[in-house]
Amino acid sequence: MSDAIEAEQSFVDKFPDEARIVRAALLSSFLALALGAIFGIIQTLHRTGVFRGIISSTDYYTSLTAHGVFLAISFTTFFLVGLFTWAVTRSLDRPLIDIRITWTWYAIMAVGMTMTGVSILAGFVPALDMSADVLFTFYAPLQAHPMFYAGLAVFIVGSWIAGADWFRTFLAWKRDHPDERIPLQTFMVLTTMAMWYIASSAVAASVLIFLLPWSLGFIDSVNPTLTRTLFWFFGHPVVYFWLMPAYLLWYTVLPKIAGGRLFSDPLARVVFVLFLLLSTPVGIHHQYLDPGIAEGFKFISMTNTMFLLLPSLLTAFTVVASVEYGARQRGGTGLLGWLTDLPWRKPEFTGMMLAGLMFAAGGFSGMVNAGMNINYMIHNTIWVPGHFHLTVGTAVALTFMAATYWIWPQISNKPVYSRAIGLFQVVVWFVGMALMSNAMHAQGIMGVPRRTAEPEYSGFDYPTMFGGFEELNVQIAIGGTLLFVSTVLFIGNLVLTMGNPKVSGLAESLPPALSGPDDAPQVLDSLRLWVGIALTLVVLAYALPLAAIINRGGLLGPGVGTYPAWIAPTLDALAAAVTPILGAVGGAASLAGVIL
Amino acid sequence: MHIHAYEKLWLAASILLILLLIGSVTYGAVGPGVAMVSDSEPPIDAQALDEDDRFSEPRVEQVGDNEYVAYVVAYQFGFEPSPIVVPENSTVTFYVTSRDVIHGFEVAGTNANTMVVPGEVSKITVKTDDRQEYGLICNEYCGAGHHVMEGKVNVVSQAEFDERNSGGDDA
Amino acid sequence: MGQNQAAHASSDDVSGEEEFDPIGTLTLIAIYFVILLLAWVYIYYIEFLGRDLVVVG
Repeated sequence: MSDAIEAEQSFVDKFPDEARIVRAALLSSFLALALGAIFGIIQTLHRTGVFRGIISSTDYYTSLTAHGVFLAISFTTFFLVGLFTWAVTRSLDRPLIDIRITWTWYAIMAVGMTMTGVSILAGFVPALDMSADVLFTFYAPLQAHPMFYAGLAVFIVGSWIAGADWFRTFLAWKRDHPDERIPLQTFMVLTTMAMWYIASSAVAASVLIFLLPWSLGFIDSVNPTLTRTLFWFFGHPVVYFWLMPAYLLWYTVLPKIAGGRLFSDPLARVVFVLFLLLSTPVGIHHQYLDPGIAEGFKFISMTNTMFLLLPSLLTAFTVVASVEYGARQRGGTGLLGWLTDLPWRKPEFTGMMLAGLMFAAGGFSGMVNAGMNINYMIHNTIWVPGHFHLTVGTAVALTFMAATYWIWPQISNKPVYSRAIGLFQVVVWFVGMALMSNAMHAQGIMGVPRRTAEPEYSGFDYPTMFGGFEELNVQIAIGGTLLFVSTVLFIGNLVLTMGNPKVSGLAESLPPALSGPDDAPQVLDSLRLWVGIALTLVVLAYALPLAAIINRGGLLGPGVGTYPAWIAPTLDALAAAVTPILGAVGGAASLAGVIL
Repeated sequence: MHIHAYEKLWLAASILLILLLIGSVTYGAVGPGVAMVSDSEPPIDAQALDEDDRFSEPRVEQVGDNEYVAYVVAYQFGFEPSPIVVPENSTVTFYVTSRDVIHGFEVAGTNANTMVVPGEVSKITVKTDDRQEYGLICNEYCGAGHHVMEGKVNVVSQAEFDERNSGGDDA
Repeated sequence: MGQNQAAHASSDDVSGEEEFDPIGTLTLIAIYFVILLLAWVYIYYIEFLGRDLVVVG
């Protein structure tokens, strides 16, 4: 039997070029994770008042911007492009069309993120006239350096080319296999990317038409509500862009690790179609408390958002059922006794299961966020980051880390340095996040705001609820520290893994689903139809609100200022720098005149 | 398409849950009458608040029997007036706008919470209970001094409110 | 051991494919459903609607 395994080719044996780019993308992702974790621990200690000696409270916002952009954009998206490249290549069982195109989009994305990252980090260096302390959401009229916006645009264009690369590879496969169902993983990639094209078009438009020209001084002002609405047009589906790679892993890899197989291929397809349809026409639920948007639009967004719960609730059932099937294959019995027959010693299994458990908890706080009028209670409080540290911060991040223990050996032929450390690491993440997120939710109900360097105020004290403010701060600090330790262990384990010698026999295969694609109606694979419906829903949800917003405030805003303005200070600084030179030149000229 | 009976059951339960959530939100709107901040107020010129008779002098005013309005300006990095003093057991409508960037207006630990967007006026009406001092927080990042932006909303007795106001008239 | 498991799995596949009833999953998810309902009732009707300064207009 071991001979048979050794004879089986791993992913890197079969597709060395693709494996190389998957490794490059994942390493870019983990670089962002490491940077994000450093800013994370600084912020945790600063905000809770445990230690404020590393950065000033003004620089806190530079750190917060870096934490948000590196983790929410760079870490997630680079992992996604790596994983999707692996998934498309593996499930179609063919190489990408032209690896030079693949390296091109990777390079474009890397350049874009470097531009944005530099513009943010420059905020720490007072000597540089550059900063982007606008946070991940970059709401105008707070303004960043033009390079911040330009980098984001370049990064998004790179991701578009990546999507086109996978579509082209799929079309080439389709020519050879005209009558076959789209392999499940490729189906997941294509529906996710279709959603991404729709969603990111709005933020690209916002950046290219308004924010970038404005930061360059070509236009004087922007309409804050319009750019904010375009951000959230993108900003809600982007959370599903983070989540879909985790779903892909839960549906197609987790059942295999559990010793079973996917319960239902058709339902997995239904779920991804539902995400394509419903992810975008919901962004206004981030603007429940915005003036200038009618209550009716908010109500429509609320109902859409609640129905967006459906694919996640269905996923909970299908994934757990697939795991239960695995447990029963391993000899598990009883109503719940089978839970003890799962491979809890595998970091990839335990990590993904704990991530899923956290997602279930995040589902609850998400319902509250979605609940329109209950938003008054928690809007912009630390409840909200408490929520998304369960979702993107654990359901996504912990699944990515756990999956790395499974996928990295297959794309490098190097066994994981220490699976014991891996197991410890994923558990530490879970414990740290349980502490931190729970305390954040509790503080949020007390009214403690998010995104602030110093949440304690001189004029009043918070009401006590589920523990006092200070006590919850300690929980947050301990939790955040554990998360940092967990990240260090993960990165360290991976670096040591990369130092391991290459071996063979690390190939893994994925079994077909219990209820296979043949049980799925053909119409599910009709991507054109679903994209058409998705676009229709987006138009229905956004045409009237956008028209109303433009009608109220104009395309370029109702005379709102710019904070800070980049161009005037830059010109002044240039003038100041040039004047002595001109003076020197003038002096030299006059001196020459005297001599002559 | 083959769907397991248990999964159909869960699908039905999920849809029921979603309808219950939407039902709750609807109940909140029509039962206790929770209203969302909306587009009821016309846009305003954020850079000409000095010329607006509501916001040139941010203040609290009585407009009816036990009804008051508070005109509030949020700016980098504070609120005017500060503190905002309103009488107990009254109906208070806050009109809040910004003269620079986007801010938040959150009476800590309560449901009074809204975004404050330059060029727009946020209108929220609340009913005050007994005397109490609340903290007022900007909960939207608004620049380097965001964390020092705070105010107070003091709910005082009718007598104290009248005393303050008559004092103000004399001055 | 490995061969045993493989044999076990393949024999199960033949009979188990249509018959597998995820009763454990149904139990777990029913518990989740009850938790969600109770937590929602608490946070919406008690915590949220019971707070000061409810926005009514």
